[in-house]
Amino acid sequence: MDQLFLILLNASWQMAALALLALGLAIVFGLLRILNMAHGEFVMLGAYSHVITAQFGLPPLMALPVCIVVVGLVALLIERAVVRHFYNRMFDSLLATWALSILMREFVEMIWGRAYRNVPLPVEGMIKLGGVGYPTYRLMVIAFVVIGLAMLWLWYRNSLTGVRIRAVVSNPALARAVGINTTRFAAAAYVIGCVLAGLSGLLLAPMLGVEPSMGLDALIRSFFALVVGGLGTLEGLGIGAAVIGGVQAGLSAALNQTAGYLGVLVLAVIFLWRRPDGLYRRR
Amino acid sequence: MQYETNQPGDRDMTQYKKTAIAGAICAMLSLPASAEVRIGVVIPDSGPSSLFGPASRNVALMAAEDINASGGINGEQVRLFFADVGVPPAQSAQAAVRLWRGEDIDGFAGMHNSAVREALIGQFRGQVPFVYSGVYEGGECAPGTWVTATTPAQQLAPVIPWLVENEGVSRWYMIGNDYNWPRDTNDAARSMIAATGGEIVGEEYVPLGSSDFDASLQRIQASGADAVFITLVGGDSVAFNIGFGAFGLDEQAIRFGTLIEENTLAGIGAAGANRLYSSLGYFANIETEPAKAFAARYASEFGEDASALNALSQSVYDGIMLLAALGNAAGSMDVEAIAKVADGTGYQSPRGKPVLSGTHADQTIYLADGTGAEFTVVAQFDNVEHGVSCE
Repeated sequence: MDQLFLILLNASWQMAALALLALGLAIVFGLLRILNMAHGEFVMLGAYSHVITAQFGLPPLMALPVCIVVVGLVALLIERAVVRHFYNRMFDSLLATWALSILMREFVEMIWGRAYRNVPLPVEGMIKLGGVGYPTYRLMVIAFVVIGLAMLWLWYRNSLTGVRIRAVVSNPALARAVGINTTRFAAAAYVIGCVLAGLSGLLLAPMLGVEPSMGLDALIRSFFALVVGGLGTLEGLGIGAAVIGGVQAGLSAALNQTAGYLGVLVLAVIFLWRRPDGLYRRR
Repeated sequence: MQYETNQPGDRDMTQYKKTAIAGAICAMLSLPASAEVRIGVVIPDSGPSSLFGPASRNVALMAAEDINASGGINGEQVRLFFADVGVPPAQSAQAAVRLWRGEDIDGFAGMHNSAVREALIGQFRGQVPFVYSGVYEGGECAPGTWVTATTPAQQLAPVIPWLVENEGVSRWYMIGNDYNWPRDTNDAARSMIAATGGEIVGEEYVPLGSSDFDASLQRIQASGADAVFITLVGGDSVAFNIGFGAFGLDEQAIRFGTLIEENTLAGIGAAGANRLYSSLGYFANIETEPAKAFAARYASEFGEDASALNALSQSVYDGIMLLAALGNAAGSMDVEAIAKVADGTGYQSPRGKPVLSGTHADQTIYLADGTGAEFTVVAQFDNVEHGVSCE
């Protein structure tokens, strides 16, 4: 019984981590139709804000503002210099952001080297749930993701900004005609998507360790979740993260990690092939 | 005043000197390349193991300094040439051959993975002496190849009984990445664990590049293991050990790995390193005089911020020193001549006094405790046999 409960907790952690990782990618794709291949590198950059904070001798909590500022500035710079020229050119944007990802990785390697770095857990210890002990920090991240996504969804559905965003996405020309500044909107959407990617790196770094090439894994896993759930919607993100996280955790527990990974790959291939819109279709 | 004297004899003397110097310079310029011994250093500058590249390069330079300071190889100074073998095996072999033919290399030494080693040996075909260093699964018997790399037999044979005696462990769980080094190492470990009366309560292999170990950690917890033998590498080892600590499994079991070096431990951090043992031929803070001198010199030559010393990078120093010792013992860099005298050749190393027995080195093995994310050497085992038989 305890074993089953632990599997469920692990699956919840996988789903939460995946939803967190994929959120930025979903926003950038959903709003701008750009598949941001540099997404993983923004996750990595967010994780390195712990390193920057430590380097300047700042208290660990300062990593949050450092992350928002550093990732935000880099994203803004990249949007101005590169990404804005590729709106509505999906394949070109894929190549351009892929090149950016390599550049960002090399740049980080140049500054901090390839060495692994550890980020101490902000909250140590475990909480007993029934007969099972689970790391407190993980439970906090799970709660944060659930509450955060719910609030984001409510805000998107009910606020005026949410209406504006939906207007721009469904008909950019008409949105411009009614006075919405779509250029600024696009820049904001890209920066927010990237900062969210950075925040996921910031939150997950204590469980993963930090190194320059950590972004690739984040990109691939985010992509799988979005392929299965449906690219570009919050609902799709939630469903995709749940399915991928659940399949991986379930198969890994029942068989082994190889099976878990294979299951995720097979699922992604089937969806790309038979149902490219994912489980959740935009209405 | 001097210039005004201008006596004929002086002038002749000056002229003579000039001619002599000019002649000497000409002679030096036209010397054949073989007046120096040209060593090819094959280490990773790219790919996943490029983490070890900078320190490997630094210690290679130290080896060249030491060899040249003590008279070079057979009286000739050595010069290093580097090739990047962090790329896939076929490309690595190409890079090495380009160096070999293009720069007229007399001997190779280096640290890299086994797939690359096999590709290099396939090109060298015993025509040029080659010393392989680092950590590997054992079994390399190709002609013209000598090995300072530590083998599973070396890193395990003295250590497993030590852990059983000092930590009282008997239920072992083995986890490793899914390729030949972890599998071969576990094959060696199995009989040694059995010899101590221990049992293996679980064994699993995960794909390279895994970051999610929750299921494994759960299995370890359920198995009741009191010792976990780790042959995960790099970032996989980091993620596994962080999770291990986060789930409090360090209270249930000790961990022991044969490829947990300074970089990996730094990534794991203090919270994940409680009761984490590592056995290797070298740690940066070994407390012997030669090792302390080596580390101090490394810091003074390359700065305190230089890429951290570790067993894999440092092994490149040993490899080059062995190559020089072999050349000196044989009186040439000819493979046949070296093969006749190799057995029993010793070489200088901060690790201790390694000596070739056959084609592999018997050497000192250190066991360190990583608690607090800082290695403390807790046991030293001298002259550990490599256990590789090439008959």
